[in-house]
Amino acid sequence: MKRLLLAITLMSFWACTGSNSGSQSGQGSKQKTFRYNQTGGLSSLDPAFASTRANVWAVTQIYNGLFDFTKNLDPHKALAKEYEISPDGKVYTFTIKDGIYFHDNPCFPNGKGREVKAEDFVRSFKRLLTLGTGKWIFADKVLKASDGVPSDTCFRVVNDHTFKIYLQRRFPAFLHILATPYTYVVPEEAIDKYGDDLGRNPVGTGPFMLKKGYWDEKNKMVLHKNPKYWKNDPKTNTPLPHLDVVEVTFVEDRNTEFNMFYKGDLDLVVNLSEQSREIVLEKTGEVKEKFAGKFKVEKIPYMLTEYIGFKVDDASSPFSKLKVRQALNYAVNRKGLISVLRHGLGVAGEAGFVPIALPSFDSTQVKGYAYNPKKAEELLKEAGFPGGQGLPSLTLYTYTTDKEIAEYLQKDFEKIGVKIKIEMNKFSAHNTMVKEGKAGMYRASWIGDYPDAENFLALYYSKNLTPNGPNTTKFSNPEYDKLFEEAHETDNPFTRFADYHKMDKILMENSPVIVLYYDEILHMKQNYVVGLEADVMNNLMLENVNIKK
Amino acid sequence: MLKYILNRLFYGFLVIFGVITVVFFLFFALPGDPAETLLGNKGNAEQRKQITQELGLDKPLILQYIYYLNDLSFVSIHKDTQKARKDYQYLAILKMGENVLVAKMPYLRRSYLSKKRVSEILYEDIGGTLVLAMTAMLLASIMGVTLGVISALNARTWIDYTLITITVAGISTPSFVMAILMANIFAFYLSEYTGLRLTGSLWELDAQYGYRIALSNLILPAFTLALRPLAVITQLTRSSMLDVLTQDYIRTARAKGIPKYVIIVKHALKNALNPVITAVSGWLATLMAGAFFIEYIFNWKGLGKTTIQAVQESDLPIVMGAVIIVACIFVFVNIIVDVLYALLDPRVRIN
Repeated sequence: MKRLLLAITLMSFWACTGSNSGSQSGQGSKQKTFRYNQTGGLSSLDPAFASTRANVWAVTQIYNGLFDFTKNLDPHKALAKEYEISPDGKVYTFTIKDGIYFHDNPCFPNGKGREVKAEDFVRSFKRLLTLGTGKWIFADKVLKASDGVPSDTCFRVVNDHTFKIYLQRRFPAFLHILATPYTYVVPEEAIDKYGDDLGRNPVGTGPFMLKKGYWDEKNKMVLHKNPKYWKNDPKTNTPLPHLDVVEVTFVEDRNTEFNMFYKGDLDLVVNLSEQSREIVLEKTGEVKEKFAGKFKVEKIPYMLTEYIGFKVDDASSPFSKLKVRQALNYAVNRKGLISVLRHGLGVAGEAGFVPIALPSFDSTQVKGYAYNPKKAEELLKEAGFPGGQGLPSLTLYTYTTDKEIAEYLQKDFEKIGVKIKIEMNKFSAHNTMVKEGKAGMYRASWIGDYPDAENFLALYYSKNLTPNGPNTTKFSNPEYDKLFEEAHETDNPFTRFADYHKMDKILMENSPVIVLYYDEILHMKQNYVVGLEADVMNNLMLENVNIKK
Repeated sequence: MLKYILNRLFYGFLVIFGVITVVFFLFFALPGDPAETLLGNKGNAEQRKQITQELGLDKPLILQYIYYLNDLSFVSIHKDTQKARKDYQYLAILKMGENVLVAKMPYLRRSYLSKKRVSEILYEDIGGTLVLAMTAMLLASIMGVTLGVISALNARTWIDYTLITITVAGISTPSFVMAILMANIFAFYLSEYTGLRLTGSLWELDAQYGYRIALSNLILPAFTLALRPLAVITQLTRSSMLDVLTQDYIRTARAKGIPKYVIIVKHALKNALNPVITAVSGWLATLMAGAFFIEYIFNWKGLGKTTIQAVQESDLPIVMGAVIIVACIFVFVNIIVDVLYALLDPRVRIN
């Protein structure tokens, strides 16, 4: 009897396997499906909460904003038809395109998506001032009332298709801001009906839509084509998107993710675990030949700087001494780090804090620190700590997933006689400690929110000191502040870039940080995926993507 | 008997209360600010403060604990507001000024990150874990008994030695190592032949048909989870079978000329199974815990995967909720087993 049971169980399992494997190849039915995996958890499909990579990728498929980015990171009109900026740079007038419709959704009368109005933008932007992880995006830029809170009239509807935004001062990268996912437009009806649950019931104008019941949280999400999408393929003049379905799985383990891609269960994989990197890349950072033929592999710079920060304002700590910081800067072999730990993925951070991915990057203008242990030893001696003697015990604070880099630095520092301890914490605990100023030397990274160096350099503006802003090094320099404010008043990108270079130079001279490397993206897709381009912001644009098997 | 059951229930309640207390203070004492998790490295002090207030994390720890117990209790006191009514869905018993004494189901709060009710999240997940654990148990029992009998009948031959070696390996390999091995071998290298996938849940979302059951996804996780109990059951059956086979009544049966097959199944196995059944009943709760890593590795939608992710994201309400649920299951299973023992053996009741 028991054997019989066993046989039945096994047979039924096998039967299921057989019937399922047929449909798993995905494109067996005529539907065109694009599949990607998302680590790091998708927490919300509300644009106001689009702070993590996972949220940004999904939100980008469902919504549109006034602008999007061209490949060169310039803002490009999306829902905006025309715009006008007042001569003082404080008033922006936008006209939006006609005939853009929201997805069909029960929040509308009869469930039919209606046309986008200027009022929707104003409501969406005002909402962004009051909630979400994107609060900061308008809060310190738009016109403020006398009590310091953003004014009621900073966004104003002119007519159904026109509205104005009033700023308190000129902000040259404002159009870039309007291309970030935070500012995507949400219909008033959805805000009223779903409230805080908008993140589970997204309604947008984008190429794909989420139908009810197609998001199995932390397991899988299926997005369907928006049949009324407003864009056409400029070459063939056929309606976009080409894809019928986007499938997102949520596997947390990066090795499994890579194996799934290798097996053909995923169409795209970005950013690999260390083990998988070894499989794909040579030690030099080149893509292995046998791999390059099997898949389309691209390596491009990413808007991300990885660095070590020093808390410079504590006079009792050796990190307040410029020469100590400079010595430590010279002691790090960045190129070695990249080839040993990163398999050549990334660019050594030897030219300033602003990463190579940004248009203003110029290594001839801004010189950082290259490996020079001799000079490091000299500087240490000048600082009064020859061979590291007399230094108190130093600690490098880092997070648990970043152990290797900390150990690498520990060895490099030891070569010039500086012994450091490593203290590891969970990522969020680490960030709290850094923000509370409990760490003198700490691991950090900064991902650009929009492609302008201002976003990186604001980290060292003295008005952004923690706890009010992200300046955790407590670096403060009047000349730097002046340049920062001056750059804000400049619309001409070239003079602005010159200011950025000067600021970055000041930073390097004062070295409140050790820039380790500028990150790169390893972007791998299946050979049959066409129309998917990698960009330095690590965005995912699927509207032009097609599957050609 | 009733007194005995009540006694057990009371002890069970104490255990759960202890678990809640320990876990609460453990997690809230850990470093790491949930507001930090929510905001990332953007956002300023004011926003952090606001989030901390929203989550009630600015109050003294002991007060937070009392509020939490109040939320969990079936009978509790709350402010009578619209929001409270929506959150707790209570039945008011007695009005006391602006507060109200209510009866309600335990409220496990909402996830910090997704803002979804924890009870809802766990309710969706528990099915997957139960199916996985039950299937594993079924597999382990059937295969374990079969292999144990084979091993005992071929005692001290190469078949026996091979099986015993394999089972020792099965007992000593941690489940997460085994899970990775199984996934790589059967769902990666051999996937063309097996047709199995690296990850997947019982219910799969399909672009055309919505949710569909995918039993093939159950094979690898269930088998991996079954390996340990399978090994234990094999060895138990083997030794108990060997014991029984040497007894006089078996020799008598053989002498009477009863067919070998009948002797083994009807006479020997029936008696040899007693210790095995005891072991199996105790294993079910343990399997729920063993499922945690396996769910995570196979991305199987269940309690374990959700909990591990919640720990990584410092989503404390989910972690607390999951621990409480698992504790309740443990206590419940234990009570049932105790009661069954008491029914079978009156000596237990007196002690």
